[in-house]
Amino acid sequence: MPGIMGFYPFGEGRENWDASRFLYYGLTALQGRGEACTSIALIDNESKQISVHTKNSHVEEFYKLLSGNKVRGYIGVGQVSPSEDDGLVEVESPTRLVLAGDGKPSYEGERGEAFRRLAERLSTLLAEKNDPLDAAAQVISEAGVGFSFIALTENEEMICCRDPLGVKPLEVGAVGFDLGIVSSESAALDVVGATHSGPIQAGECVVFDPLSIRRRKQGISNRRAYCAFEYVYLARADSYINDIPIYAVRERIGEVLAEEKDVEGDVVIGVPETALPFALSYSRKKSIPVKLGFMRTGRHVRSALKPTQFERLMGVQLKLNPIKAAIDSKDIVLIDDSVVRGNTLKNTVLNLRRRGAKRVHVRVGSPAIISHCPFGTEVPPIDELIGRALSEDEIAEIIGADSFSYLSIDGLVKAIGLPKHMLCLGCFTGEYPSKEEVR
Amino acid sequence: MKILGVGSGAREHAIAKKLSESRYNPKIYWVGENRNPGILRICERSEGEFIQGSTTDPEFVGSTAKRLGVDFVFVGPEEPNFHGVPDRLEALKIPCIGANRSVALIEMSKAEMRRLQWEYDVPGKLLFQTFKSAEEAYATLQRYSETLTWLQNVALKPARQAGGKGVKVVEDRQIYLHEEKQRFKSKHVGWLEGYMRGYGDIEDKILVEENVWGPEYTLQCFTDGKTVLGMPMVQDNKNAHEFDIGTETGGMGSISGPDMCLPFLTMSEYEASLRIVEKMVSAIQDKTGKRYHGVVAGQMMLTEVEGPTIIEMYSRLGDPEALNVLHTLKNDLVDVCLAIIDERLSGVRLEFGNKAVVVKAIAPKGYPDNRRLAAGHPVEVDEARIAEGGCELFWASCSLQEDGRIVSAGSRLVEILAADETLPEASARIEKVISAVRLADGWGLFHRSDIGSEELLKRRAELAERVRRLYHYRLEKGTIGKRVDWLPGVGKVDPVKMLKEGLRR
Repeated sequence: MPGIMGFYPFGEGRENWDASRFLYYGLTALQGRGEACTSIALIDNESKQISVHTKNSHVEEFYKLLSGNKVRGYIGVGQVSPSEDDGLVEVESPTRLVLAGDGKPSYEGERGEAFRRLAERLSTLLAEKNDPLDAAAQVISEAGVGFSFIALTENEEMICCRDPLGVKPLEVGAVGFDLGIVSSESAALDVVGATHSGPIQAGECVVFDPLSIRRRKQGISNRRAYCAFEYVYLARADSYINDIPIYAVRERIGEVLAEEKDVEGDVVIGVPETALPFALSYSRKKSIPVKLGFMRTGRHVRSALKPTQFERLMGVQLKLNPIKAAIDSKDIVLIDDSVVRGNTLKNTVLNLRRRGAKRVHVRVGSPAIISHCPFGTEVPPIDELIGRALSEDEIAEIIGADSFSYLSIDGLVKAIGLPKHMLCLGCFTGEYPSKEEVR
Repeated sequence: MKILGVGSGAREHAIAKKLSESRYNPKIYWVGENRNPGILRICERSEGEFIQGSTTDPEFVGSTAKRLGVDFVFVGPEEPNFHGVPDRLEALKIPCIGANRSVALIEMSKAEMRRLQWEYDVPGKLLFQTFKSAEEAYATLQRYSETLTWLQNVALKPARQAGGKGVKVVEDRQIYLHEEKQRFKSKHVGWLEGYMRGYGDIEDKILVEENVWGPEYTLQCFTDGKTVLGMPMVQDNKNAHEFDIGTETGGMGSISGPDMCLPFLTMSEYEASLRIVEKMVSAIQDKTGKRYHGVVAGQMMLTEVEGPTIIEMYSRLGDPEALNVLHTLKNDLVDVCLAIIDERLSGVRLEFGNKAVVVKAIAPKGYPDNRRLAAGHPVEVDEARIAEGGCELFWASCSLQEDGRIVSAGSRLVEILAADETLPEASARIEKVISAVRLADGWGLFHRSDIGSEELLKRRAELAERVRRLYHYRLEKGTIGKRVDWLPGVGKVDPVKMLKEGLRR
């Protein structure tokens, strides 16, 4: 689930803007979606050529590595990804283009391979059809479900598309009379000073060219498949996705958690960062005080997404040092955002006990993850998923907690506030939206 | 009765239509640069005449009016006002609906308008500073960039009304993007200086205003100099493209109704805005000693610091806003004009229908920055389809050739109007007939599908509510219009006081 962003200036003096500065801060804001690989493409002010830069590093380091090279341009797209060597896709001919993609279209192969096929198809269609909007609409109708992308062509067109069920997000913003910005999350628009205009709709394509913005929405059913995991974990709490504020969803999750499985405690503690809003509203609902339970060391690292076991453990130990004064001789309700393999949580519970916690009741703000994600979100092989293998009581025993429970699937749906037929709950249910449902 | 109109855009087409519907059955004569097919047809039907020629040449318009022996002249656009067409007509004793050169200054010079507003203490002001060169402007923007907050977040404008061109809003609030914004500001003031070389009629070249945010709206009024009668509020959409992105245009489409007020504004905001326009009319009359006969409009914004605030003043109807109000106006427009001429507008009651009205402009690619690309394309319109769809077509920037072809002239090509119970319904109606307009040579057209949509209305309402909360709070606290700032090393400063002292000098 990479983060993607596009930057497009209009009007008099459009060549004066430097897209790379905006991408730098915008991509930094999207880094929660992945930081193993950073990739940007820019159209040069003078030569009008597209240059592409990709490095296996986070955004800050990427720009350091790049400094000295000429990285300037007035139109640009960028991508941050949780996997190495997962940069922008480049196609040379018949139409040269680069493509930033989130999710995975329904083509054969891994994520990168599937997007390559999509990009090649788009390149061909652009050469065949007079209107890039026709090409984009055709690609949407062919590429199945589960993707968002921003493509930049040698003709200075920026083509932004969402799949017909809207699995992956894509939001639009504007700066003054000059700039159009498209991003996976609205928070990245805030960070670069843009006003959030709203989402690109499911099945919609939007084409930016030097003289216009045109959009077309395919005729589709009421079925949507907005990724529920975005609301629980992936997106930033300060983002809006599909007009729904993430923070409000997370507050409701805390309330639903408090209603679903009753437990007594002296103090509520949230595992930073994602679970903090859950913990705050859980505390309010139950009238149990919330405390700051952990201090972080080093850069913010999203532990569930790290590729290797070693890095995950190192990440969590560095990240979460329990604050003894907050937990010593207390009964604790520990709120976490999601459980994948269970080992980071096991460590956390152990650390709390060592610092003097009496009882530790674990509440998780998402349902059990029991299945893979066909749309490119990195979920470990299913035999590693603790929620698939074990019951809540067994998990409690293994992680050393006094009790353990997940948010129910209905509870999650209630917290998001959309009917089930508008969500993709695949990683929690094993049932996925398919392209047959588009019409 | 004979009436002569001036100008050849969609606004003038709408005025001509309304005049031709009068119970006086007037013959409609018209002067315009482009042979607007819609106006041409109205002239023909009413047994009048369309005369192609310069609308900004007072001698030409004056002698034409005299030759035809018209009862009065209705001036559509602003440039004839700036060039003194109404003044010439007055000298010839031909009644005119159109602001004379002196009072039209409130539109022609954005700088003079702001000075007048501060001098007469009309509410809804913005901090501003004017410059005669890019160098001078940049020195100030540079010098203050570390200090006075309002000079960091600015609207950079040509000091003169220049067809809605050249306005840039640069908010410099992210310190990490400061260098980028600063560089852009310096480039743009340079561009403005160059652009203003084309206008010798005003001394100020560059206007820098404090940046504000909030929903914009236009309040158009008729005035005879004594009475100012307000029409329904209209919201124009200035950004060229979907999602409120891109270049400032003359307006890509407008919404109004179903009442006097827009759905996201309040009647008290309407009243306050009307008071502001009234005060501006009396201020400019007092300042110049000249009478204001015609149309005056406040192009306004609800802002956090001032509530209803003037962004710019118009000395004429807006385009496309004119289409909205003329569509719902129930009065005979000729009666209104005669009342203005005789200065008995106080006895007139304007009446409007209660339909929601949406207007959308369709423009050739190239508009507004590269009008040469947008001009010269043959136009094809399926008028029957537009009428069947319950929409009305207004011809804008295009010209009927001798051979019967219609060719684009570089600005907005046509405007399409629909009225319905709600704005989204009216908007959807237009969307269905958009493809009835095309360029025969395949050159691209664009319009904004989002104008009047549920989605956009929701965002406007949300924006208005946020601003309203803030300015109401200021009203309660008695801090409306107040600005304070802190200059490290200098102390607490009052930018309003600084501005007033500057004006006295």
